[in-house]
Amino acid sequence: MSTTAPGVTTHTPQTAATGRSLVIAVAGSGGDGVALLGDLLLSIAAHQGLYGMLVQSYGPQIRGGESAVVLRLSETEVAYEGDQTDLLVCFRTSDLKRFRGSMHLHEQSVLVLDSGDEGELPEWLGTTSREIMRYPFATRAAGVEVAGEPKNMMALALIAKALGWAPELAERALEERFAHRPHLLSADVKAYRAAWVQLQVPAMTRLTGHGLPLEVETGNEAVAHGALAAGLRFFAGYPITPSSEVMETLLDELPAAGGTVVQAEDEIAALGMVVGASFGGVPSMTATSGPGLSLMTEMMGLASMAEIPAVIVDCQRAGPATGMPSRTEQSDLFHAVYGGHGDFPRAVLGVFDVVHAHTLMYKAFALAEDYQLPVLVLSDAYVAQRRQIRGATPARSTVPRRWRWTSDDSPARFKLKGDQVVTPFRVPGTPGGTYLAAGIEHTEDGTPTSDTNMHQRMNERRFRKLPAIALDTADWVRTFGAADAPRGIIAWGSMYGLLREWVLAHPEYRVFLPEILLPFPLDALAAWRKGLSETVTLELSHQGQFHRYLSSLTDMSGVRSIARSGGLPMSAPELATLLSATLSSALSPTSAAAAEKEAS
Amino acid sequence: MRPADLRTELEPVWCSGCGDFGVLKGLTQALTDLEVAPEKLAVISGIGCSSRLAGYVKAYAFNSIHGRALPIATGLKLSRPEMTTVVVGGDGDGFSIGLGHIPHAVRRDTDLTYAVLDNGIYGLTKGQASPTTERDTKRGRGMAGAEDAPLDPVLLVLSSGCGFVARSHAGHLPHLRQMLREAIQYPGFAFVHVLAGCVTYQPKGYADGLLEHSFPVPETHDPTNLDQAMNLARDPRFALGLIYKRPRD
Ligand SMILES: Cc1ncc(C[n+]2csc(CCOP(=O)(O)OP(=O)(O)O)c2C)c(N)n1
Ligand code: SF4
Repeated sequence: MSTTAPGVTTHTPQTAATGRSLVIAVAGSGGDGVALLGDLLLSIAAHQGLYGMLVQSYGPQIRGGESAVVLRLSETEVAYEGDQTDLLVCFRTSDLKRFRGSMHLHEQSVLVLDSGDEGELPEWLGTTSREIMRYPFATRAAGVEVAGEPKNMMALALIAKALGWAPELAERALEERFAHRPHLLSADVKAYRAAWVQLQVPAMTRLTGHGLPLEVETGNEAVAHGALAAGLRFFAGYPITPSSEVMETLLDELPAAGGTVVQAEDEIAALGMVVGASFGGVPSMTATSGPGLSLMTEMMGLASMAEIPAVIVDCQRAGPATGMPSRTEQSDLFHAVYGGHGDFPRAVLGVFDVVHAHTLMYKAFALAEDYQLPVLVLSDAYVAQRRQIRGATPARSTVPRRWRWTSDDSPARFKLKGDQVVTPFRVPGTPGGTYLAAGIEHTEDGTPTSDTNMHQRMNERRFRKLPAIALDTADWVRTFGAADAPRGIIAWGSMYGLLREWVLAHPEYRVFLPEILLPFPLDALAAWRKGLSETVTLELSHQGQFHRYLSSLTDMSGVRSIARSGGLPMSAPELATLLSATLSSALSPTSAAAAEKEAS
Repeated sequence: MRPADLRTELEPVWCSGCGDFGVLKGLTQALTDLEVAPEKLAVISGIGCSSRLAGYVKAYAFNSIHGRALPIATGLKLSRPEMTTVVVGGDGDGFSIGLGHIPHAVRRDTDLTYAVLDNGIYGLTKGQASPTTERDTKRGRGMAGAEDAPLDPVLLVLSSGCGFVARSHAGHLPHLRQMLREAIQYPGFAFVHVLAGCVTYQPKGYADGLLEHSFPVPETHDPTNLDQAMNLARDPRFALGLIYKRPRD
């Protein structure tokens, strides 16, 4: 019998979209090469046309400490790493304690431990009815671990064999990866081959890929690639977990596309450079996480006030100040939607997964360039740091283009009259187009003013952008489940992966996920809500920011909030527990927001 | 082209007698000398009395936010290298809130001309101490920082590795025009320290006092020699002229 992890009362069966899937977890310490092993497995899967995703967890020390990967392989596209570990390879049981919540054994799980490891398994891990398998991963001298054959190569052979993969597949992946380091390559291949011959492994569910190679990409890479395809030509950023790989990817790829990447001295400078480059007429972007977004706030207002397009990607992490840098959360929503002094329009979008990042970045640039305002794209650590297998990205023959001023256009850069929402952008270098862009309130031609009537009229004009954007984006939503399902879940961002599978296993539910959070697609939400008997909002935010934000926009009475602090992403068993507690008794507040309301 | 052709129709809001007028004049003269067409000119500023200057020059101008002109100008110049890009601002804007950007702009050596209009005071916010306010300045209301030692802008940029460093005075027009011209021509990050008066919040005769406290860079000075430049900058009086110009390889 599989036991249940404490705090998790229901175990829902695994719910792949339609195909079969397997969840593999590998836990070890820094030097064990766990991350490499995960990457190799994922790329071998992608090569065969299998889908999947990988999430990596670290212990509290980002470098050198414990490290684990959870990998889900599937015959159909997945954006959720699953919650039932089918195969767990653990090099050291003492490492497991850091990964509570990331792995759960079930009845038929295969558990592989080191032969010399006598440690106890934590209770939360659950148990399997199958016999624990042991392999001599570690080499020991007088009971102490010493350097021996690479453990990750032994595990690679073991897992590849268990999955029924041809032995050459992993060798090919190793060759691709280490072509430039022949010594390492031959040592790794040797260890892999030796293990392949020696190890007796259990057979597992056979997954069949469609045979056409697929791409592996992280969320941050997808954001960078999506931006490139949307015409990005200038990027400035400052390193911060979990967003740094956006800049790293662009450092590799943007110069070749004729663009510029700058590592700025801080996030204020990063967004400042973006505003300057975009003032120059060039599509520009920065990427950061919460602490950086806080620093960028004043500059965000400037971009809106001076009507300069800027795309700002925020890979949300958990908590204020430093918080938990490599953990995920959805708690920058208030900042994105409301942050900054004074009134100014902006648009806010939410990324679902790696695949979605491509289309969403295009949409972000289209809005920024069309409406000449800052566009925030909220990603999070869960999306940013995962590796996900995806198919081809949409082919695009055009990129969003800013409406450019010519001498035939109005002399007023910030024209008040008429029903135009924006006026043509004056690109430096254009004769006759000189003007003053200003963060100071200004008249039609950019002259600084403190005329209160002008301020009112300029605000009205700038805010006309929002209803216009709302018209363009009215259908920027994703819904799942039967149209007449009685129970509804409203969520956003990275909840996507879990929820698109949730409705398959729970046909009584339907799901609403907006791609755009500001302006919110309220008509689409109202239409979707028809016929629901019970509805919840679902989010990773202690305050229930999403629920509160929605409540400020539309009547949410009767809609319950399921909100918890971030850290680990939501899993299906946890969601089942939360939903049953929330929906079965109208009196038991399960969400932090509801609890808080009651307390006050 | 005449300097007046580079002026917008806006009337400066400055107090009459403000040193910023001289800088506006010197800058438009230097740009006219160099025949910079308005559409090829960008003037980027932060916030302060001096930063208002951006609006008075016919250019792709940007009067942005306090202390952030340098990053904005950097982004512009990197995306539109053909633009002659001049950054102007006050001593508070540059050496207090925006100080963190200066050494990095120097390190990147983007082709910008950065003219700091140093009146030793926060003009726009009505006379508080700035990072260049002299320690013995008579303390008025709100002069909290005047107890602290002032920083030396020229030593600061020299020690950061700036390739072009000059100093001038807002009331010394032909000299200012020449320094700004050379700075704009310099193909990297060029810094011009402009001593300016604030008639409203500095004591009477302050601007003249600055001039009296100055001396021309001696003819024997070799501006390509960093040691000599540092020594010149260390002089308690203000050396006016080209202090350092690193030969470009
Ligand atoms: C973030 C921020 N903090 C404070 C201010 C207020 N402020 C405006 S200008 C200024 C200082 C002006 O002094 P300086 O830069 O030397 O220019 P001056 O007016 O003397 O030319 C201050 C503190 C502001 N605009 N923004
Ligand atoms: S307050 Fe001083 S710096 Fe400001 S305009 Fe008047 S004289 Fe110039």
